[in-house]
Amino acid sequence: MDKVTLTIDEKQVVTDKESNILTASLENGIYIPHLCYYSGLEPPGICRLCVVDVSGDIVFSCRSKVKEGMVVKTRSPVVDKIREVNFEIIMANNHMSCKGCAATGFCEVQKIMAFCKTDKKRVRRLRPPEKQFPIDESNPYFDYDANKCVLCEVCVGTCNKIQKALNFVGRGWKTKVEFHGDTSICEKCGDCVARCPVGALVPKGKAQIQKSA
Amino acid sequence: MGEEGGGALKETLEFYSGKRNELIPILQEAQGIYGYLPEDAIKIIADFLKITLGEVYSVASFYNQFRLIPLGRNTVTICRGTACHIRGAPQIVDEIGKVLNLKEGETSEDMEYTLETVACIGCCALAPCVKINHKIHGCLEPGQATGLFNIAPRAESN
Repeated sequence: MDKVTLTIDEKQVVTDKESNILTASLENGIYIPHLCYYSGLEPPGICRLCVVDVSGDIVFSCRSKVKEGMVVKTRSPVVDKIREVNFEIIMANNHMSCKGCAATGFCEVQKIMAFCKTDKKRVRRLRPPEKQFPIDESNPYFDYDANKCVLCEVCVGTCNKIQKALNFVGRGWKTKVEFHGDTSICEKCGDCVARCPVGALVPKGKAQIQKSA
Repeated sequence: MGEEGGGALKETLEFYSGKRNELIPILQEAQGIYGYLPEDAIKIIADFLKITLGEVYSVASFYNQFRLIPLGRNTVTICRGTACHIRGAPQIVDEIGKVLNLKEGETSEDMEYTLETVACIGCCALAPCVKINHKIHGCLEPGQATGLFNIAPRAESN
């Protein structure tokens, strides 16, 4: 397979011709915050957190193919500002109380919050009032907490490849991930729960579904 | 939805080839037949297009034009766009809500009225305005809105 060489944060990186900037940096140990990207799934490009600077242009790294001789900067004042704002928009619709959350420790949002040094007080001011969804317990295999969901589409994209049981429902800030229709359609594979970057999809009770790292 | 209703939908479906991209036109037709999207209709459509119920539901719940609960015989649409808001839409919403004894988005028990609000009807010069079925009533003042409904006296006596 053809290889290309590019520079990411002053580090020479050799990667596959077909891969995108985000995969190339993650493979080489350079972290770029991301929520909607999951290895093996087509990147939907909706979280807008993986912004990088390619010779002065701001691009979304998950949707940008690598090119020979490309110079990528994952952090710069402009990139950090854009990422910060994009992250605040996501977090404004997300409750941020981590206490007792099943995802504490491996939560992507916690990681990105630390990475971006997000100002929690500032985000709270952006928050629309009175948003509290009840926990959806309708699925026999997992519980869904819309308040924690970042609508990254990873679970929906995963299920689309398997059973198409999970779908987005509603629009705007009322969007939720929902399991609709015949419950027998769910194969109980647990991939959606394992791949959820936050604590929105959690196993029912103490089901034997292990969280992947 | 009775047997007959399912037949009407199936008849309509004969004009379609069963591709996924026909979902929205089919939903529109189904809503044209029933006035809303009953669960049975969603099932028929999902079977026809060979997609899951969840996918149909996902699309139907995204668009404002689709309803999953039946509409009343008369739809009352109150505009609360910027112009109408400034000229008193909140009072009109309150007033009509009291007359019909409904909240936004609700349908009366006798299925006579559905009350909804929209961001803009598109006739800001007539603000504040209300659309009842397809007729627009503009330049309303508090007190006038009540007169738009035949049931006003009954509601007052209650």
